[in-house]
Amino acid sequence: MNRDLPIPAVISAIRPLTVDTSLVTLNTEPHHPVASSFLPGQFLELSLPGAGEFPVSYCGFPSVDGSIELCIRHIGHVTGPLRTAVPGDAAAVRGPFGHGFPLLAYVGQDLLLIAGGLGIAPLRSLLLALLAQRELWGRLTLLYGARETGALLFTDELLELQNRGMVELQLTVDHLEHCFDGPPYCRVALLPVLLDQLDLEPDRTCAAICGPPVVYPLLVSRLRQLGLSDDRIHLSLERRMKCGVGRCGHCAVGTRLCCVDGPVFSLAELAGIEGALG
Amino acid sequence: MAPQYIANHNLPLLLERLRRYAELHGPVRGEDGVVRFAAIAPGTLPDLSALRTLLPPKKYLLHPQETILNYTAAAGYQLQAEDVRSLILFGLHPCDLAGINYLDRVFLGDAPDPLYAARRATLTLIGISCTPDEFCSCHILPSPLNALSDLFLCSVDEGLIVTSGSPRGDELLDGVKDLLEEWEGAVPEDSRRFFGHAEAEQVRPEPDATLPEWQEFASHCLGCGACSLCCPTCYCFDVLEFCGLDSCSAERVRQWDNCLFKSHAEVAGGTNFRKERAERFLYRYRHKYRGFGPLQGVPSCVGCGRCRVVCPAGLDLRPLAERLEGRPL
Ligand SMILES: Cc1cc2nc3c(=O)[nH]c(=O)nc-3n(C[C@H](O)[C@H](O)[C@H](O)COP(=O)(O)OP(=O)(O)OC[C@H]3O[C@@H](n4cnc5c(N)ncnc54)[C@H](O)[C@@H]3O)c2cc1C
Ligand code: SF4
Ligand code: SF4
Ligand code: FES
Repeated sequence: MNRDLPIPAVISAIRPLTVDTSLVTLNTEPHHPVASSFLPGQFLELSLPGAGEFPVSYCGFPSVDGSIELCIRHIGHVTGPLRTAVPGDAAAVRGPFGHGFPLLAYVGQDLLLIAGGLGIAPLRSLLLALLAQRELWGRLTLLYGARETGALLFTDELLELQNRGMVELQLTVDHLEHCFDGPPYCRVALLPVLLDQLDLEPDRTCAAICGPPVVYPLLVSRLRQLGLSDDRIHLSLERRMKCGVGRCGHCAVGTRLCCVDGPVFSLAELAGIEGALG
Repeated sequence: MAPQYIANHNLPLLLERLRRYAELHGPVRGEDGVVRFAAIAPGTLPDLSALRTLLPPKKYLLHPQETILNYTAAAGYQLQAEDVRSLILFGLHPCDLAGINYLDRVFLGDAPDPLYAARRATLTLIGISCTPDEFCSCHILPSPLNALSDLFLCSVDEGLIVTSGSPRGDELLDGVKDLLEEWEGAVPEDSRRFFGHAEAEQVRPEPDATLPEWQEFASHCLGCGACSLCCPTCYCFDVLEFCGLDSCSAERVRQWDNCLFKSHAEVAGGTNFRKERAERFLYRYRHKYRGFGPLQGVPSCVGCGRCRVVCPAGLDLRPLAERLEGRPL
């Protein structure tokens, strides 16, 4: 695999999820590692020819047929034009890159997934991986918050899993829009508040977190209050990334590189690094 | 075997011989008085008395702006192919050799960068000893002392002791052996340095981000980026894509970037992970004195002194580094 050369991919579907976010399905070479062998939390570099390239987390499950699911917010000069792409349009991919969530260390543990906003993308991938081998883990809990109900993603899918007893789901929004009722189980509260009523066994629970940096400090301090040690808390960090392979110098967190050593770090690894949580 | 020696008066002949192997570049003083790495014109000598060039030799390996990929609808993305010419860099000081060695560790690791690797493979490095001035800190850092080259020239009275550091160096030495004499005099204890000592690389605790010095530096720094531009181990690059006029081809370009620029840590949506100049200063510090990623614990500063010479605000990180690293710098 040449890590510098994007291989061709075709956009096979684009499904708008909210006003600014879509679920993009790509197709690339069958059996290529970029689609078939990644850990949840790892990322790939997606190119839109003529526009550029950006890092994006895997949102789905590894596939041997070359298909890749990504959840993309259209906010920049590459992700923006992607909004108007149509099935059949050309793209290109390189990856997988970085370190994902430590699935091996999770065996036998209760798992607490905490997603804020678009952070649901890598955590959906993690959830799918956990459900695929459900017997390996203890309790599965997902806390998921967004700004408003219209910004909650994959709610149908998540509620379905909740109804089938596969996952304990708690949804929350910062505020309710005027004319909407939230989906069932949805509260109006900031994400860290969901931790207040959680009963968990800190010695057998691991937390996997992805969200906007603003929620990290509060989430972390609540989890510590609940008795979770720093090596049981894993966070996915975002940074500006221009290469994905440890060369462009943009993504250091302390002296670790987010693209190579991360983007998933344990809290213990981030100890003492000013500004690590954002 | 006694050390090999070339008398100063044979230097022009040596250069003419080297020219048969490859294009010859070295420190050349321009009409503007500035010393740069450039082609050494036949019949002229490089400026071996100049302590430092404006830009370090990294420009040969990472161009200020360069195409890395080309896209066409038919072929998809393709790596940029380049006709690389063989080049001999003559007269590299130990700090600049160490700078190239550091870049090698970043760009030639497990998965080499294609353009860098192609250029590096055709580069022959000929180092030369020098005497540090007050801006240098090479003599205290381990990397210049251990820097690798194909040939190394150590100044002694009336000439240069020549040692080979690679098969390529052996080949060159063999080709010029009629110009060499046996050196009878004393050999400086360390052929690269007239003084100084090496220290082992080690991992140190995170620098204290609350020190007032970060703010102090930030309040004087103009954010011009000159210090990174001229640093032999600053390799940050930004990546841009340009769409062809036919709108079905494109070119992807990388260009030198700079961690003291505010945009360096900005992501889409407006979040900036290093909004404050003091944070950006700490970032630079970490890279220079601690190293990033796989090179954690390997300081990237090779002590060339360029950043101190060019800084319009006269900033010098050494006093702070001496305290935080617990050793003289
Ligand atoms: C590990 C990781 C995982 C991620 N996962 C996801 C995900 O699953 N889904 C998702 O939607 N996002 C994800 N992101 C974020 C995503 O990478 C960014 O939203 C994306 O880079 C935006 O790219 P863009 O080119 O569209 O934005 P840009 O327009 O490049 O915006 C980025 C910054 O570049 C600057 N900029 C603007 N125009 C230009 C220009 N012409 N040239 C240079 N710079 C410019 C802007 O100031 C802006 O702050 C992830 C990021 C990381 C690091
Ligand atoms: S930090 Fe300054 S002294 Fe050190 S290598 Fe870079 S330019 Fe030279
Ligand atoms: S050269 Fe001096 S003023 Fe310019 S960015 Fe560097 S430290 Fe700041
Ligand atoms: S993204 Fe380039 S070094 Fe991490």
